[in-house]
Amino acid sequence: MPEIFIDNVRYEFDGKPMVLQFMLDQGLDHPFFCYHPSLSIPANCRQCYVEAGTPVMNRDTGSWELDESGERVIRYFPKLMTSCSLEATDGMVIKTHRTSELVKRGHKDVLEFILMNHPLDCPICDQAGECPLQIQTYKYGPEGSRFEHKKVHKPKRIKLGPRVILDAERCINCTRCVRFTEEISKTFQLTIISRGDKNYPAVAPGTEFDDAYSLNTVDICPVGALTSADFRFKARVWEMNQTPGIDITNGKGCNIDVWTRDNLVLRITPRYNKDVNDHWMPDFGREDIRRINENRISKPQIKLDGTSIRSSWNNAELSLAEAVARVKPEEILFVGSAFSSLEDNFAFMKYAKLVGTDEVVFVPNIVKGYGDGFLIDDDKYPNTNGCRLLGQKEVSTSEFKKMLAKSYKVVISLEDNLVGREVIATEDLAGKYVIYFGSNNNETSAIADLVIPISNSVETPSTYINVDGRAQRTTPAKETIYTNRRLNLEMSVGRLDRFGTKFDNWVNDKNRVDCIPAWEFLDRVLKLEDKQNGYESSEDLIHELATTNSSFSGLNYNLMDDEQGVVLNDAAKTKAKTA
Amino acid sequence: MEIDWKSYKPLLIPNIPNLKDIDVYEKNGGYEQLKKVLKEKAHTPESLVNLVKAANIRGRGGAGFNAGLKWSFMPKPDGGTRYIAANGDESEPGTFKDRVIFERNPHLFIEGAILAGFAMTITAVYVYIRGEYRDQINMMQKAVDAAYKKGYLGKNILGSGYDLDMYVHSGAGAYICGEESSLMESLEGKRGYPRVKPPFPAQKGLWGRPTTINNIETLANVPLVVKNGADWYTSIGAKTHPGPVLYGISGHVNRPGVYEFPTGMLITDLIDKVCMGVRGGKKVKAVIPGGSSTPPLRGDALDGVRMDADSLRTAGSMMGTAGMIIMDEDTDIVDVVWRISHFYHHESCGQCTPCREGTGFLEKTLIKIRDGHGEMRDLDLLLDLCTQMEGRTICALADAAAWPVRFAVTRFREDFEKRVKKTVYALA
Repeated sequence: MPEIFIDNVRYEFDGKPMVLQFMLDQGLDHPFFCYHPSLSIPANCRQCYVEAGTPVMNRDTGSWELDESGERVIRYFPKLMTSCSLEATDGMVIKTHRTSELVKRGHKDVLEFILMNHPLDCPICDQAGECPLQIQTYKYGPEGSRFEHKKVHKPKRIKLGPRVILDAERCINCTRCVRFTEEISKTFQLTIISRGDKNYPAVAPGTEFDDAYSLNTVDICPVGALTSADFRFKARVWEMNQTPGIDITNGKGCNIDVWTRDNLVLRITPRYNKDVNDHWMPDFGREDIRRINENRISKPQIKLDGTSIRSSWNNAELSLAEAVARVKPEEILFVGSAFSSLEDNFAFMKYAKLVGTDEVVFVPNIVKGYGDGFLIDDDKYPNTNGCRLLGQKEVSTSEFKKMLAKSYKVVISLEDNLVGREVIATEDLAGKYVIYFGSNNNETSAIADLVIPISNSVETPSTYINVDGRAQRTTPAKETIYTNRRLNLEMSVGRLDRFGTKFDNWVNDKNRVDCIPAWEFLDRVLKLEDKQNGYESSEDLIHELATTNSSFSGLNYNLMDDEQGVVLNDAAKTKAKTA
Repeated sequence: MEIDWKSYKPLLIPNIPNLKDIDVYEKNGGYEQLKKVLKEKAHTPESLVNLVKAANIRGRGGAGFNAGLKWSFMPKPDGGTRYIAANGDESEPGTFKDRVIFERNPHLFIEGAILAGFAMTITAVYVYIRGEYRDQINMMQKAVDAAYKKGYLGKNILGSGYDLDMYVHSGAGAYICGEESSLMESLEGKRGYPRVKPPFPAQKGLWGRPTTINNIETLANVPLVVKNGADWYTSIGAKTHPGPVLYGISGHVNRPGVYEFPTGMLITDLIDKVCMGVRGGKKVKAVIPGGSSTPPLRGDALDGVRMDADSLRTAGSMMGTAGMIIMDEDTDIVDVVWRISHFYHHESCGQCTPCREGTGFLEKTLIKIRDGHGEMRDLDLLLDLCTQMEGRTICALADAAAWPVRFAVTRFREDFEKRVKKTVYALA
């Protein structure tokens, strides 16, 4: 196997890796700005210098030439090489800043140049705390500046598009954003204009940066030049907790990080998963913070004489049990939801079965032509495949309307805004007792007779099976009023939580919603009749599912965490049906 | 080595009226070499490449690389498109030699380009001319149209079955587009950012296809070699850097202009005899031998220095484009270096950090010194900045910006020291 020596340590490599990527893969720290593993390599920031040499091959013998002491003769490149664009070859010798003064000096020199015209406004810069330039300056930068002249001034606060704002002075011209629009989103909306140290990215006159993926450029910007219009000046990075989650605004199920402070989700950023979304996600997935934070249903609501009033949880449990007991099982229509998690749907179906019916229907939300072939799929709901695998009956809008016209007296709907997305009209539900499990106030909750507030994907572990049949799950990122001790073990604990600051998840009740997971509520209802399943956490549901349903065999939370999602073969097959 | 330059008859720009017209050019033996090669099959592509390689035409664009050797790097034809990009960007300050070819002998270049095209099985030649040469672009276009009309370009040239197209392309005023890889980017309609090598243009050039980039003057030498052979060519001028060369001489001389002479001319001869001496009989203070990016030589160290790669390297400079700038003893070197530095600051494309920021840093420090606010430590800072820029970027612009500063500060240090504040520290 070919070998490479980095700082006198021998490594073996496969294929033709670039030296920088190889070093990063080995866990060796090395500074860089313009390089991004998913973009082309422009080698323009010149930060990733190394000294590189190759052994001299004796052409006659076909072996390495040796010096008097039996060591290989190494021929070094005359210049410092950028390791991002340097392909590893057999026997190559690399010296980094750890062993070479020249490389150390090179890193320092480039940082001095970058900082020359870079405004030193870290205290008010959104990027501070997660800024590669800041971090690398502390690690590799010069101690002071020799630059005594006026800095170059460039435009600030340019609104490139509806979601992205540019501060050209902070830009270090790494061209990551430009390459993103050229190579990933392929809209070619950004380019660098002007020349030399007056360079900065811009859009063509009369156009705006309204790319459906525009906010990814904010993530990959190695400085605070591109900022999100939405998140700008909202929070310091170190005040937030970062929790892995799944984007549920689309069937693709992009992996995300949820950033919370004081039980509010402040931003959503993509999380790397090479099999699903790489480093990217669509912009509308990030706007999901509105759904999570605003307009939430807190406490159950019961309609009395046409007006909704808040009710206690106990009262809501009794109301549901009574409503179900009043009618025959065949007169109850159970409507599952491709928007809800696997756990909730499974508990919902189990409840239906215990009530006495096997039929649970769901209405998928697939819009032909909505997808773009990249990270936006035609399927607007995150768990269509989950519902199918669980054995729910997939019905079209017209079929569903026909069903409603039958003699159902009670409709129990798991979170799915059927009225809002115009599957049915309000009249279709006239005369029926409607029970709605939901986390947000919407058109459907407004007409429901009993509304049960349920935890959403950032409040309880939720599993979703995406359009490619990959089961992925979320981790709770924020607290609700209700506390499940098993749930809290799942909760990510950030620096803030450990030190008990005013922003941690437990100090304040202000932003906590009074809701519980649907499976927990249903189990409580069953408990009234001593038929409860005795689930302690959502993991129990997945465990039961994995042991009783062959489609889900082997599924568990640890596996999903370790493998970044598990592909379910049965689900992968159902994909063909939608396509 | 003595060069008989007084009896030298110009070959690239012979003194024939209206040579730019195709009829006059043909009457004077024009396109004969093309006919010899394409009609009489005097050469195969391989033998033509070998001939040019043996003639050792060293690139006239600045790097001085053997043109035939460069041609031989092209991969075997695979039936796809292959390009020559003829570099007439000529944006290096002090250089104005290709302009004379466009004006006075465009067909020599066209013939050379077709021969080069045949040698490398090229399908299209792009002639990239700087945008400021509007007149010259029109002249060149006229010449290309005439060559098409006569059947020297286009389909089935001279009945040989060889097809070649030639396009005249205008630059848009960027110095960096004279660098071969950003020239290709510019031709492709992109921003003129130099490309990372490897891959080299011969593997992946214009639109990802094999491409050779040659200077206009280099290609104009090709018909001469085909006509007279490699031995004849290597006998002209300096041994290791043979052939006729266009010296573009500007500055404080009595008769500036473009002169065609063999390589290896004594710089003193060029100044004193060819250009009739320095204006007002003054002494020479500095000579920039090959365009602004080459290190300046001191006027008192010119004895025996010849205009060829080896001699200039020994003297501590480079041949470059042979665009010589002569400065007399009254010249303010600090001002000159600042002006050169300003140029590179303005023209840096801004891709690589050391060049983008370093050129500005150099200029700002030089302004400080020029305006009398400089200190001794600024001279060391300048040298340090040069070290931080040289060889640290994708293309050679950072070197081109750093060298004039480095060598001006080291070779004319007294001029700089005179301009900076005296720093006197009291010992207390």
